[in-house]
Amino acid sequence: MKKHFLLISGLVLSLNLSAQLSFTQQNVSASGTYKICVVDMNGDFLDDIVSVDSNNINILAQTETGEFEIHNYPTTTANNLPSWSIAAGDFNGDGYNDLLYGGGGGATFMFSNGSGLTYHEETPGEYIFSQRTNFVDINNDGHLDAFVCHDVEPNVYYLNDGNNGLEYHQGGLGDYPTGGNYGSVWVDYNNDGHIDMFIAKCGGGEARYTDQLYRNNGDGTFTNVAQEANMDNKCQTWSSAWADYDNDGDMDAFIGASSFSTGGHILMRNNGDGTFTNVTAGSGLDTYTGTSLEHAPADFNNDGYVDIFGNSNRVLLNNGDMTFTPVIVPFSSASIGDLNNDGFLDAFTFGTVYYNAGNSNNWLTINTIGTESNRNGIGARVEIYSAMGKQIRDVRSGEGFAHMSTLNTHFGLGTDTSIDQVIVRWPSGIVDTIENPDINTTLVIVEGDHQMGVKDIESNAFSIYPNPVKDVLHVKGKSMENVNYEIHHITGQLVQKGKISNGNINVNSLGKGIYVISIIQNGKKSNLKFIKQ
Amino acid sequence: MLFLSILTVVFSCSSDNDGSPEDEGEEISPVVFDINAVPYPKLSDYNFFKTPLSDMNPVYGVIPYEPISTLFSDYALKKRYIWMPEGVSASYLSDGQSLDFPVGTILIKNFYYEHVVPNDSKKILETRLMIKMENEWKFANYVWNDEQTEAFYDMNGTYVPVTWNQNGETKEVTYRIPNGAECVTCHNSNEIPLPIGPKPQNLNKLFAYDTGTQNQLQKLKDFGYLTDFPDNIQTVVDYHDESQPLELRVRSYVDINCAHCHSEGGFCNYRAPRFAFEKTSQPENLGICIVPDENIDPYTNGGNPTHIVTPGHHDKSVIFYRLSTTLENIRMPLRGRTLVHEEGVAMISQWIDSLEGNCE
Repeated sequence: MKKHFLLISGLVLSLNLSAQLSFTQQNVSASGTYKICVVDMNGDFLDDIVSVDSNNINILAQTETGEFEIHNYPTTTANNLPSWSIAAGDFNGDGYNDLLYGGGGGATFMFSNGSGLTYHEETPGEYIFSQRTNFVDINNDGHLDAFVCHDVEPNVYYLNDGNNGLEYHQGGLGDYPTGGNYGSVWVDYNNDGHIDMFIAKCGGGEARYTDQLYRNNGDGTFTNVAQEANMDNKCQTWSSAWADYDNDGDMDAFIGASSFSTGGHILMRNNGDGTFTNVTAGSGLDTYTGTSLEHAPADFNNDGYVDIFGNSNRVLLNNGDMTFTPVIVPFSSASIGDLNNDGFLDAFTFGTVYYNAGNSNNWLTINTIGTESNRNGIGARVEIYSAMGKQIRDVRSGEGFAHMSTLNTHFGLGTDTSIDQVIVRWPSGIVDTIENPDINTTLVIVEGDHQMGVKDIESNAFSIYPNPVKDVLHVKGKSMENVNYEIHHITGQLVQKGKISNGNINVNSLGKGIYVISIIQNGKKSNLKFIKQ
Repeated sequence: MLFLSILTVVFSCSSDNDGSPEDEGEEISPVVFDINAVPYPKLSDYNFFKTPLSDMNPVYGVIPYEPISTLFSDYALKKRYIWMPEGVSASYLSDGQSLDFPVGTILIKNFYYEHVVPNDSKKILETRLMIKMENEWKFANYVWNDEQTEAFYDMNGTYVPVTWNQNGETKEVTYRIPNGAECVTCHNSNEIPLPIGPKPQNLNKLFAYDTGTQNQLQKLKDFGYLTDFPDNIQTVVDYHDESQPLELRVRSYVDINCAHCHSEGGFCNYRAPRFAFEKTSQPENLGICIVPDENIDPYTNGGNPTHIVTPGHHDKSVIFYRLSTTLENIRMPLRGRTLVHEEGVAMISQWIDSLEGNCE
């Protein structure tokens, strides 16, 4: 009798948990003081745990078995620490992500040296009271730039000249004289293919803390359209969470309050015409009393509706109808990524990984590799179409306030068992379309490899799988036996060559990263990119 | 040699370095001030101090002052002076507001350390000026050279490593000389630049001038720098003075160290505390039993504070952890310190532990 009762209570418990969220904790040996970054660092696109000290980058590299390999990369003593934020992105285009530390006295870059095995510091030296930092291609020249919110002056950014040169700019992207700029997020709010920017603002007088929305005019200029867009909110906020919460094809915004002194949380629905409507009343966010510096979007339960996480040990679960239900989770203010590659988003904060126990929902993870656009594909709009409709994501570096979360694009599919189409609209204007991809796996999309209507004979000469690959790359195409191939690292270095045998190429000895395989057939060379894990 | 002896004569004639009433009308301040030309490139251009500059020995009209309750700045020592042009004077606004200074006023604040390693010497790092222009205060920062012979106008901000001995202990700091933009973070109300220290409530005490000991406000009035002031000023106490009531010491401490941001017109006006002396007779303005907006549990080594100030329990009080850390994103005050003010933390902790009641 007693046994029976326990069984029932156990069942009730598990039902209750699957209706909400369940996480298991594991302490990991992240040794750096600043434990606010989850992103791939070794080029295999599996999320790693990054923690830094003034003279060291500690990386817990995710392996296939779910264990972490510990790596420490000494650096020069950083002039600025990521006291206020950290961002990651492949600024120098060498296939490995670089880091940007947002400190109270300025910004410091840690650039990978073409291998992800050594890093060198670059500190431009301008005084910046840094807040949120982002990597984003501001001038759309194909090279990532770096943006830094300034607490006490107009915002600043460093343009990348493509040769690792940093060109300092101040002005045009949030110019209030005494700053008040806390949380920038780069998002295409009007679906015109140009990436815009919203700034969550706080402190001082009303003009200082009124939020700003900068529309990218597509010609290198930006215009603050917050008032006409109805986004000139006046709550005290350090960050906003942007996602298409109602899956109607445009990005909505949650403006999360850091204090209730000038109003509470705000939920803004995108009207699809460049304006927004305040739909906070009755959304469940109007009665949510938690305050936080951190608010960021993530679909934790893979139901296809993006949730919001922040502080106060709560995830605000999206009910699918523009209402949200706060559920208790064991973490606050975390970096988010998939730390065991199971398709469910996990959290990392203060040395502890919170593994998402998951559920039966389906999912898709996408790795974007830019060619014309920046290597990460930051700023790309990713769309998927399935039975439940359309979902969209932007590839973003730097969401929430301080943390860096995965650069992989993650979709929950709910109970949908297939995807009709994946479309990636790259910052370059290139559009790639993939029909009927496999689900519950990772899909690598290289910019330009799947353009509709473009008969790219060279890239169609052969195909490869799996991608990402671990040991053996399978090559499919006409008359592939004994054909010569070459494999170059993305930086151009020839790393392997030979002849294809039984349709296979053993790539076991390659280091992790992005590679280009070339096949030479009848005097013609065809290329494809793949990720070695 | 001849030049030097002339100088000596001139200075010996004006040996009264801070002026006395009977000098008024007779002696003219030798300070050089052209409102259209300031800030000057060098500190010596103003002629605030006699030679050698590093003695900080003021000329006639440059009057020293000292707030009763002082800002902690990584244990830096400070010497402050005030100068005004001929024929103008400041007026009293209220006990808790800085004096209403006339155009042309210059507030001078030298930051230095003594017993600096290895020569046990004095090292002046910077001299900050606030100059009252036609419309608003202008900040001008002068960074001293290693030879201690001159300070140069520099608003870029820099770091200077300093090691010194204090009370038998060797201390180290990477001293921050602020960038111009940093000044206004603290020195503002409603984003209008403002002095912080020279409030009547913070000046109303005796000071040992060369001419004798006198009340600072009375001195300013006698010299013609202040029109008048009331005789019932609600005055802060020196928080170092253990003979004063603990609560008054704490209220005086948070007034000068915290209130410039934590006030209605300050940069951190969106958080609950209001630390100005005239506000802190209300317990909630000190953060007592106020639930913090931001959860800082992970930074508290298991302390998990529940309120900004939890009566009887400094280890359950956010303010204790904010004052006890050097982590830039957690520490308070945000600006002006990279070290922990151990004496301040001890006093605040003692006060919290002395409070009775609970927050239920």
